[in-house]
Amino acid sequence: MSRIDPITRQVIRNAARAAALEMQTTLIKTAHSPLIYEVQDFGVVMTNRLGQLISEGSALAGFLACLPPTIQSGIRKFGKDGFREGDVILANEPYDTGTHISDVALYVPVFFDGELVGFTSVMAHWADIGGTAPGGWCPTTTDVHQEGLIFSHDKLYDGGKRNEVFYHFILNNVRQPAAVGGDLNAKIAACQIGARRYQEICTRYGADYVETALHEVLAQSEKRMRSEIAGFPNGTWSEEAYMDNDGVRLDHRCKIVVTVAVDDDTLKVDFAGSDLAATGPINHPLAGTAALCGSVMKYLTMPFDPTNDGHLRPLVVTAPQNTIVSAEYPAPCDSYGYVAEVIVHLLIRALSKAIPDRCPAATYQMYAFYLSRTDPRYGDTFIYGEPVDGGGGAFPHDDGPSGIMFVGNGDAPNVPVEIVESRYPVRVTRYTFNPENCGYGKYRGGYGVIRDYEMLEDHIMLQTSTENNQNPLWGLAGGGQTGVARTILNAGTDSEKHLVDRVSDFGPLMKGDTLSIRTANGGGWGNPTERELDRIRDDIKAGFIDVDEAVDAYGVDRKALLTVPDSTI
Amino acid sequence: MKNIRRLAVDVGGTFIDFVTLDPASGEVAIEKVRSSGELDRQFFEGTELLSLNSADLGMIVHGSTMVINTIVQENGARVGLITTTGFRDVLELGRGSREDIYDLFFKPPPPLVPRDLRYEVPERLDSEGNVVVALDEPAARKVIGALREKGVDSIAICFLHAYINPVHEQQMVRIVRDEFPEAMVSISSDIVREWREFERTNTTVLNAYTQPRMDRYLAALDRELTDQQYKGAFAVMQSSGGITSTAIARQAPIRTIQSGPAGGVIGALRLCQEIGVRDAVVADVGGTTFDVSLISDGRYLESSSTKFNRRPVLQPSIDIISIGAGGGSIAWIDREDGLQVGPQSAQADPGPACFGLGGNEPTVTDAQLVLGYLDPETFLGKRIRLDQSAAASAIDRKVGEPLGLSTVEAAAGIMQIAVTNMSYAVRQITVEKGHDPRLFSLICIGGGGGLFAGSLLNELEMKQAVVPQNAAVFSAWGLLNADYREDVVRTFVMPLAEVSAAELRGRFEALEDEAKSWIASNTAGGHDLSVERFADMRYLGQEHTIRVPIRESDINGADLGDLRKQFDCHYERAYAHALPDHDLEFVVLRLVATGMIDRPPVSRIGRAGSPAEPMEPRSIYLADEKKTMDCDVFRRNELSPGKKIFGPAIIEEWSTTILELPGQAAVVDVFGNLLMTRES
Repeated sequence: MSRIDPITRQVIRNAARAAALEMQTTLIKTAHSPLIYEVQDFGVVMTNRLGQLISEGSALAGFLACLPPTIQSGIRKFGKDGFREGDVILANEPYDTGTHISDVALYVPVFFDGELVGFTSVMAHWADIGGTAPGGWCPTTTDVHQEGLIFSHDKLYDGGKRNEVFYHFILNNVRQPAAVGGDLNAKIAACQIGARRYQEICTRYGADYVETALHEVLAQSEKRMRSEIAGFPNGTWSEEAYMDNDGVRLDHRCKIVVTVAVDDDTLKVDFAGSDLAATGPINHPLAGTAALCGSVMKYLTMPFDPTNDGHLRPLVVTAPQNTIVSAEYPAPCDSYGYVAEVIVHLLIRALSKAIPDRCPAATYQMYAFYLSRTDPRYGDTFIYGEPVDGGGGAFPHDDGPSGIMFVGNGDAPNVPVEIVESRYPVRVTRYTFNPENCGYGKYRGGYGVIRDYEMLEDHIMLQTSTENNQNPLWGLAGGGQTGVARTILNAGTDSEKHLVDRVSDFGPLMKGDTLSIRTANGGGWGNPTERELDRIRDDIKAGFIDVDEAVDAYGVDRKALLTVPDSTI
Repeated sequence: MKNIRRLAVDVGGTFIDFVTLDPASGEVAIEKVRSSGELDRQFFEGTELLSLNSADLGMIVHGSTMVINTIVQENGARVGLITTTGFRDVLELGRGSREDIYDLFFKPPPPLVPRDLRYEVPERLDSEGNVVVALDEPAARKVIGALREKGVDSIAICFLHAYINPVHEQQMVRIVRDEFPEAMVSISSDIVREWREFERTNTTVLNAYTQPRMDRYLAALDRELTDQQYKGAFAVMQSSGGITSTAIARQAPIRTIQSGPAGGVIGALRLCQEIGVRDAVVADVGGTTFDVSLISDGRYLESSSTKFNRRPVLQPSIDIISIGAGGGSIAWIDREDGLQVGPQSAQADPGPACFGLGGNEPTVTDAQLVLGYLDPETFLGKRIRLDQSAAASAIDRKVGEPLGLSTVEAAAGIMQIAVTNMSYAVRQITVEKGHDPRLFSLICIGGGGGLFAGSLLNELEMKQAVVPQNAAVFSAWGLLNADYREDVVRTFVMPLAEVSAAELRGRFEALEDEAKSWIASNTAGGHDLSVERFADMRYLGQEHTIRVPIRESDINGADLGDLRKQFDCHYERAYAHALPDHDLEFVVLRLVATGMIDRPPVSRIGRAGSPAEPMEPRSIYLADEKKTMDCDVFRRNELSPGKKIFGPAIIEEWSTTILELPGQAAVVDVFGNLLMTRES
């Protein structure tokens, strides 16, 4: 093996990145489900033949770190000689993939000159996976089998030939077969594009040379990450937080404890003290927990460099067996997302003791909903769901962003109102910022949103995904805590109803019923009394806060605010 | 009339290029004025330098960067925004996504209209355009009064579903004219007839934001030209690659956001027609950016949605991919010991280290100098003497030493990374759209194009590379080859199965009438008209669309079966699979009306007085060969048609240097273009 020259190594590194981005473009442009083409609820990666991450797309950070361990467990199952060119493999056991069964990993082995050289893979939320809740996110399951179809590294294509029985079995057991089938094509196309690019790189430089060059790239990334961590002060910090309930045992709030240790150039995260796996489906498997810790380490050190396996090597994540953050078979995991957000923000809170300038306050806890009609006797069937934007946590140097996606959901855009209304029998009657003030601070949390719907037809069912409305997330450095999400039916009428907890299969909502979704503010950063007067005046001018509220929250002299024109007419 | 000269004025970052053209002979004259200070004054400075009498000109075409600069520098008008009740925050809510997924401090760009200047008016349409709530006139008048009170210059109006029915927006315009006649008004249904409220609102706001300045500027030029007894047409280049009247450019300045780079693409298209090329990649290498676009089967590729300064714009536009790679791009070592080039640029000030103007960072130009590609004595017509030792020490310090490479190895590495970055941009616009770059010619324009032509030719294994004469002012010449163009667009979401050929014909006829009446009222007339029809379509259930041409035979045929086959074919090419059993739907109908201008001929070069002899050979370092070689150097203006030069060679002209690599051959054609091919 000739010495790898640094220029060629960089060219290969760039080529792998370009290939992953091209996979992502292909997936978005050919997908059939809005969760992929609009919400971008997916991850795209390339790995080497050992299943180590060499290149990623740029959608969901959490998914990206989950895929390599999934492929590695496939390598263990099949053995390194157990793959054939043209294989397409599905895996979604949460304890393997790290999230929930709706997020199916699809991967393709890449061959060059008859030798396995790597894998290309897509993990995406399926339009439906056949569980008790249409579209996934079951809120009340008590074991994984209630949540839908399970694939444990099953070959949908074997050596290029589709297993028709398996394929039809899948489509017969999901509620949206057209979307699921269409998305499958899109994912396969994306992986094939990536595989082709991988082969082209090997043609040009030789498979051995490429492998050695990429090993060097990973080693450089590891070195860089270790030097970043070595720059943190050594020490150990613990934090804990509570979930409202697990969806089944409503009287028990589950506890999560994180202890983070900076040990020279290694970051150790342990979850001892966390509650045992919950009865309801808010559990998080350890593979996913480790992936989230990897993402946090990346957020806080090198947010703009594409991630590879090397970045994740200086991290050690441990947890006792079968806790809420290390759930084991058959613990239900379908509503894993709340715990995921709490893990991310709790770890940031713990690290804020070490590196306060890099740590923002908590962003709103995730909120998502589905409106659906799955019984054709009541009219055309549909499933419309989306995560709703909310308030971002304040920064150590600025107010948080308003109307932004929660951290774990990454580059997920909202669905335009004009598209919603032309596809589904609902009218959006309001989409504005939610000026309910929380998250005060020297820098305040961003504002959440209000999204109001009116049903235009009968027999529409509602499901909501919401948490931490009794135990809100936090501010940092003396800033106020996040707000809470509200779900209100028929607001302002005699039949007004507030849904504090998650609901599933709620309804039916009938024509004329309204649904008002109001997401939370982000947490604040720093002491509110230190807030600059200009920022307070700007908020009043924008109509986000009135003078009384501002005087209360920031202890500011009322006279200083009276000259501010407000924006009402 | 035919012999009256035409003038192109192309405003760039550093210079304004002026090209005049004799429409009988195709002969051109060139002038450059530094672009600083009042643009309208400089416009006439150039005409004076060229000793032009405006009254003698037949036509003026303007490529303007005013709109894009106003947006990038965020120094536009004070705008008020009016929305449907409940949707005041659409502009600021945007799409809510975290575009940098690992950046905890990510924030979207701040809205160009602050919240206290955003007002709601009760009105509502449904997704089919039916009125659900009538526009509340008294409330609307009150809102206009408030905006007037707050001193806005320009008002943007965007109501939900106005792309399908503009009735309420048009009613609002009448109310503004009544209540606040001095305000400028932009309504979304005039600017963009496509769905997605945030993108449409943003486009409308950007129009309102740039309108007062563009209006003042073009009005001043119009006035001055009238004073100078100018009688010809004065047209402005649009992003779509077609020109329009100043009246339209003043109403809808957002149409001109890509006015600058569009001229180069139109010029390249003309060049392709002259030399018989149907498929080409157009690469424009400037000081800061590498702009690449595609000509496929004799047409340039278009897109309808682009982002500028992180803000989306829905407008028909030449599809141009721009990356930060040019002569001034800075080379640096990232935190993982990887060599990176760009996107930061040393620009003109302080410029590359070799300019000796205080620049310390190694740039692509420094690398080219160290490698021997540039002559330090004759750079830019001897305007700047390049400092070789400054270039070498910047490269050593910032690249060579950290990576353990010699100066020339490091310089060759900088070129190689720049070339591969450029090649990914070319791949994005070819391979990712289903085109094989090996079947395409590469047209290299801009001051830096010539030094990359050979490398890109090899890297992408392209058919040939073409470096035209006067590559550095090629965009300005391109402006003089553009036709008038009007795009009429309608969102039309309907399954293919529910649309007959006759209905489709009817819909396009309505668009055609609109376009024709526009051409009639905005040009002096006498232009041959042509019409092209397109549909953005997708498989039912998908979101993203593919644009398919609609032929006469489709809309005049018995059914739309052929159209379906054509869509599958386009889809297959783009994504390597098709779904021939899956239902299709229309999403957007597009009609492009063209009012043709007379094509001036392209001037030919004569035979040089004596056969070109190479000047003293120069020694250059070549990355692929990993060694220093002697290479011939030619002066371009001494080359006669038919002259063939084998690489390695360097061909110099006033503002461009061309590098030909070993194994390549270059032939000079009758127009003076240099056509480079790979011999091996």
